Amino acid sequence: MSVAGKSTDGALLRVSGLGAGYGGMPVLHSVSLEVRPAEIVAVVGSNGAGKTTLLRALSRVIAATGQIEFKGRDLVPLTPDQAFAAGLVQVPEGRQLFDRMTVEDNLLMAADRRSDKAVALEDLRRMYALFPRLGERRRQLAGSMSGGEQQMCAMARALMARPILLAIDEMSLGLAPVVVEQLMEVLARIRDEGVTVLLVEQDVHLALSAADRGYVMETGRIVHEGAAKDLIDDPAVRKAYLGL
Amino acid sequence: MDLLAQVFVNGILLGGLYAIMALGLALVWGVLNIVNLAHGAFIMLGAYLSWYLFKYLGIDPFLGLPITAIVMFGAGYAVQRGMLNLIVRAPMFNTLLVTFGLEVVLTYLAQLAFSADFRTINPSYAGSNIAIGPVVVPIVRLAAFGVAIVLAVIMWLFLLRTRLGRAIRATAQNLVAARLYGVEPRHLYATTFGIGIGLAGVAGGLYGTVSQINPYIGATLTAKCFAIAIIGGLENPLGVIVGGLVLGIIESLAILYIGATFGDVASFGVLVLVLIVRPSGLLGRTA
Repeated sequence: MSVAGKSTDGALLRVSGLGAGYGGMPVLHSVSLEVRPAEIVAVVGSNGAGKTTLLRALSRVIAATGQIEFKGRDLVPLTPDQAFAAGLVQVPEGRQLFDRMTVEDNLLMAADRRSDKAVALEDLRRMYALFPRLGERRRQLAGSMSGGEQQMCAMARALMARPILLAIDEMSLGLAPVVVEQLMEVLARIRDEGVTVLLVEQDVHLALSAADRGYVMETGRIVHEGAAKDLIDDPAVRKAYLGL
Repeated sequence: MDLLAQVFVNGILLGGLYAIMALGLALVWGVLNIVNLAHGAFIMLGAYLSWYLFKYLGIDPFLGLPITAIVMFGAGYAVQRGMLNLIVRAPMFNTLLVTFGLEVVLTYLAQLAFSADFRTINPSYAGSNIAIGPVVVPIVRLAAFGVAIVLAVIMWLFLLRTRLGRAIRATAQNLVAARLYGVEPRHLYATTFGIGIGLAGVAGGLYGTVSQINPYIGATLTAKCFAIAIIGGLENPLGVIVGGLVLGIIESLAILYIGATFGDVASFGVLVLVLIVRPSGLLGRTA
């Protein structure tokens, strides 16, 4: 755990004492965590633990107290579009695609604020290579695709923004295992390309087996943290989340 | 038969004008989720602006449209930033209340500023017609129709092909996702409202060339725009054109066959029918 005064060198994202909630109802209680460059960090916990609230606070969609230091800069005073511009890009829960826009428009939309047209088209080609399925459906309305294809579209949209930190909320929820497997392979590939990933998941085993390090959340607090393989073996975590 | 053809042509020409009136209302409604009850009042202001440009500066009403559009865009941007932004995510009743208040204020300010006299924009070619077989087509109506259709197509291409258009559509469809992907809603809302009011201004300028203007035309025009937006849907400018044409033709037919006072009865009757039979609009989705 990072301590105040410790150098932030090495940490891409350092959250300390983060509090957030809805309409005066606190959900997060002094959450602290750290993500280093090119890591995959998992935040796991059961439904209602505050994982989605954490991501909303990081993306500045909801009010927050405490500190969110990203690339040495505090995100708390920023707006969602500024956090996005800083390179913190979120794949939100439920995908939140632009349903009545084409797949291609969904992807281009994410690149609009960042790059010129040539760069965006180059990235578009990369996405279609990464997710051939999306290439086949590029003229189709995003909302008309299957759940797995929509999740691919949501991932590709996020990658079009060339994120520095990609925060993914419940990527596996409701998807067939074979699709989840494909998406996990993509995650490993983009991490190799230098993108840092914050993976928020209810599927504890899936998330921890893909991650380098993990945090376990319960009722708005971090209750365990450590290397992912240690957490998987931790008796308390095994008992509470893995049914072992 | 000749009469019927003439009525159809009248209806189509009127419908094009209706479409451009409704375009801004539908855009604002779809993106900001505000039914702007002051939309007609902005059309009225655009008409007066065109009238003043023509009367005192001698600017042709059609050539003056870009000026009207730009001035009204600025006014719309400012109204959204300064006032409507306060209620943009409020319950719909609040938005209706505020925009209705704005409509009343604008109407009576216009009465003070311009007097209640009827005015028309009368360029030298105002009385000219062209005859196509038995059908007589007034030049100004044809020109107004042409401008309306061209503008609607430009709007359609703008929404479909440009970055700003894409951001506007994205925001209309999913505000949360749009914010997560870089849209700054205050600026985007104000820009969208500005475009809507700019379109209202142009519609007003065109209206002034084909009809009389006075400070009180706004409320009726708002109601017609509302009907057209429901019929044509909120997302596609081409749908709004269809809505405008439907309303224009039905009104013209009703006036011919039932009586002059039944034009509005017919158009709002169609609105009720559409709401019952196809609540998502003739061409798809509404709010």
